[in-house]
Amino acid sequence: MTSKRALEAAGMLAVAGALYFAPSFLERGTLNDLWSVALAVVLASSWNLLGGFAGQVSIGYSAFLGIGAYTTVLLALQGTPPVLTLPLGALLAAGFSVIIGYPTFRLRGPYFTIATIGVGEAVRVVASSLSFAGGASGLRMPAGSYDFESNFRSMTLLAVALVWIALAISRSAFGSALSAVRQDIDAAEALGVNSTRLKVTVHALSAALVGLAGGLFAINFQYVSPGSVFDFRLSLTIVLMPIVGGVGTVAGPVLGAILFGWLQLKLLSIPALLSSSLFIYGALLIAVMLFEPKGLLGLVRRLWARRLRRFYIDA
Amino acid sequence: MQQALDVVVNSFLAAGLYATMAYGLAVIYGVMRIINLAHAGIMMLGAYTTFTLFTHFSIDPFLSIVVVVPLFFAGGVALYRTVVRRLPRSGSTPSMESLLLLFGVWLVLQNLAYVLWSGDTQSILTSYTLKSVSLLGVRVGVPSLGVFGMSALSLLVLEFVLHRTYLGKAIRAVTQNRDAALLSGVDADRISAVAFGVGTAFAGLAGTLLSTLFAFTPDFGRSFLLKAFCIIVLGGLESVTGVAAGAFVLALLENVTAAYTAVPTSLQDALSFTLLVVTLVVLPQGLPGLSRLAHVRRRG
Repeated sequence: MTSKRALEAAGMLAVAGALYFAPSFLERGTLNDLWSVALAVVLASSWNLLGGFAGQVSIGYSAFLGIGAYTTVLLALQGTPPVLTLPLGALLAAGFSVIIGYPTFRLRGPYFTIATIGVGEAVRVVASSLSFAGGASGLRMPAGSYDFESNFRSMTLLAVALVWIALAISRSAFGSALSAVRQDIDAAEALGVNSTRLKVTVHALSAALVGLAGGLFAINFQYVSPGSVFDFRLSLTIVLMPIVGGVGTVAGPVLGAILFGWLQLKLLSIPALLSSSLFIYGALLIAVMLFEPKGLLGLVRRLWARRLRRFYIDA
Repeated sequence: MQQALDVVVNSFLAAGLYATMAYGLAVIYGVMRIINLAHAGIMMLGAYTTFTLFTHFSIDPFLSIVVVVPLFFAGGVALYRTVVRRLPRSGSTPSMESLLLLFGVWLVLQNLAYVLWSGDTQSILTSYTLKSVSLLGVRVGVPSLGVFGMSALSLLVLEFVLHRTYLGKAIRAVTQNRDAALLSGVDADRISAVAFGVGTAFAGLAGTLLSTLFAFTPDFGRSFLLKAFCIIVLGGLESVTGVAAGAFVLALLENVTAAYTAVPTSLQDALSFTLLVVTLVVLPQGLPGLSRLAHVRRRG
């Protein structure tokens, strides 16, 4: 067991190290693609903390990305350095998640999901009408705020950190309590789990991580608008990645994010498919729900088990 | 005074449409305990079907209902038979799988529309679109009146079917208690298929009606989906009257804020959402729960 953990830690350190030095030996295009995949991993894994581990499916996560992004832009325009704006954005996203968490977590299952669609919509509508935030046309980052290398390193390291956080949580008492809430909330309450506080806590944690990613998103694209960060499609993609990959696991969301990142890059090169990319995702979601609710990871595990069985029994 | 009259008349007209929109959602939830997230996509498809019939065959939008309703009923039954039925059966509360599955259906429908009709904003302009008449001293658009008429008619037909026919009784029986209905010889699977068809047909009808009032894109319908949720949460699922009451409360709230407060109309969607969350939290059983509560208090 300990050797397995040591191996995992070594693996993660190796990946982090490789990514840290990647800007010096990889091409810019490849780095850009890696950045997008890292963003997808961050979003999918953060969502999975609440949606997978605790089983609370939220379709309003673009709100947190947007809060992080807007905080960074608004403060950068006042001359605040990213070192301060990024944590502040994360903090505000977490704060917002607590404010909406207390009323919406009184709802269970699908009712919670519907309420989160509403939260996302409300935030987008409000953001479009705030004049200090540029209204519907959005805001541009101040000149000179762009630094690709440090942004690349922050985003990829954040992605690796998220995998580590997810692993740590899945093995902790906190993780067990979350999974108890997912399996049977009444039984968990009866065993002394304060389900509301637990859900609010994990919601805040994942919102903060998404908020951090939002700040990096703003710096990388140098421009934010309600249409880019509060888009409903973004919320959709955040939900689809972990579900297609394998909801509630550590590796599933990463797998889903890599698949989506890859699909996105493939689709972007075919203009005819670009506008209807969500068609493919929708079809994937239907297929996963009907045939393999545990996602790609479940499929891989099933095929692997079958191969092992063939190997040991049939041979 | 005139303003108050304006508000009441407009709320009443809007409530008809809202009730039609919400009923499709309510019947599917009632019979199958499934939250049909594809509802918004179906409404959008209804709007585009009407649009295509109008532009290619110059069929009047209100006349297109004759085509839309049977077509969407058949589509709904087919969707149930091919996809929805394969899901593990939901218990007394809706399952996450059904929600996500229909979410996938919504995405597919939306992007089908992008391919078929492009992402451009469309609208239907008839000879009477901009005409208005005076009703109780209030200027009312002719399309709004037509929409209200069709909604009221559809709900009356529905009320009749639910209470006067075997099919209606079976639908209500399955809604109240699926197992008891099965024991009494109701073919619950067939009733589910019919209910899914009826729900889809109502969504299509709502889409047709919406298309005469609003411009639409393939992304259309999301804010109306939220309104429909808000209404069934408010009105409960048990009766057409409850749905109508919920629709009226939401319409009244929207019109009152538009007329008497400085809240900009762009924030209207946030309003229905706020009402939704407040109701879910404060009054989880909706308006019927409120009347029951008042009843208990009076007795107690």
